[in-house]
Amino acid sequence: MPVDKITLVTQAKPYYGGLSSKYGEALLKTPEPGLYGQYTYGIAGEKFFRNIKDNAKITGAKCQRCNLIYVPPRIYCERCFDALEEWCEVENKGEIYTYTLSWVDLDGARLKEPVIIALVKFDGVYGGLVHRVSEVDVEKVSIGMKVAAVFKRKEQREGSILDIRYFKPV
Amino acid sequence: MSKETKELPGTALSEKDISQKKVLYTEWDPKLMWAWDTGVGYGRYFAELKKGKIIGTRCNKCHRVLLPARAFCEWCFRPVDEWVYLKDTGVVNTFSIAYTDWVARRIKVPQIPALIEVDGSDGVGIMHLLSEVDPENVKIGMKVKAVWKPVKEREGAITDIKYWKPI
Repeated sequence: MPVDKITLVTQAKPYYGGLSSKYGEALLKTPEPGLYGQYTYGIAGEKFFRNIKDNAKITGAKCQRCNLIYVPPRIYCERCFDALEEWCEVENKGEIYTYTLSWVDLDGARLKEPVIIALVKFDGVYGGLVHRVSEVDVEKVSIGMKVAAVFKRKEQREGSILDIRYFKPV
Repeated sequence: MSKETKELPGTALSEKDISQKKVLYTEWDPKLMWAWDTGVGYGRYFAELKKGKIIGTRCNKCHRVLLPARAFCEWCFRPVDEWVYLKDTGVVNTFSIAYTDWVARRIKVPQIPALIEVDGSDGVGIMHLLSEVDPENVKIGMKVKAVWKPVKEREGAITDIKYWKPI
C-alpha cells in the first residue's frame, strides 16, 4: 500500500479538545464559555454556610406553627408551607441515625481504610447532615452513637459543607 | 407576567455579587478533555495543509479521488492506491447563512458555511466558510478559491485555509 503506515506513537498527530472554559481557553484558544457553572446557595443556604464559615455554628430554621427545626435550613416549611423567618443555632453535637462504610473512592478505586459516611441528626431537629465520621474504630461505629462536628480552622473555611472536616465520637 | 404581579419573587444577584464574593457559591468546571489521533489519511492531509497544499487519495477500483484523504475506500472497502494533489479551487455544493455563532450569540456580519467540492475530487466536498462575498450573491455552483493563512500561522488544521472567496 503506498499510503505509509504510522508505526510509532510519537508520529501520531493528536488533536486536543475539551468542554471546559479554562482548558478551552488554554488549549483551543477560544474564549467561548465551556461547561463552567456557578451555584449560589439561596437565602437559607447562604445563612447556613455563612454561619459555618464565620462562626463554626450549624444553623436551623424554625417553624413556629409545626414546632419544627429544619437542618439544613429552608425558607418554607415542608408541612404547612409557611414562610420560615426565624433562624436558630443548633448544637454541634448529634447522633448517628444511619451509616455506611465505603471501601471505594469516587473513581471506584479500592481503599485500604474505609470511609464512614453517616446521617447525623441533632436533638429536637427535623432532618440532618450527611457527612464523614472519623477518629473512630470502624468496628465500633453504631447507630445512636453521639458525635460532634470537627471544623477546619477559621482561615481555612470557605463556606462549604467541607468546612466541617468530619464528625467524631464524644 | 400577569397584571397583578408587579415584581417577580426572588433575590436578584448580579455578576458583581459573585465577583466581589458577597454571596457564597460553588463552582463547577468539569475537565472533559479529549484527544483524537488523525491517523494515516487525515494525518497527511493536515500536514499538507500546513504546506499550503490540498491532498486527496485515489481508489483505482471506483476511480474516485477522496477528499479529505482517507486510507480506505468506503465504497469498495479496500485500501486506497495513491496520494493525489488537488488545486485549491472548487465549486459551492451547498451553503447556509448564519447570524449566530456556535454558542448561539447573535452576530451582525453573518458567517457563510459552505460545502465545497474541490476541483479534481469526487467526494461530496469539505465543509468550510465563504467570505469576501455579499451573502445575497452566494450561489450554488459558484466557483471559489481558497484563501490561506500566512505560513507562520499555519498549524496543520483545516483552519489553515482562512476561507474561500469567489473567482
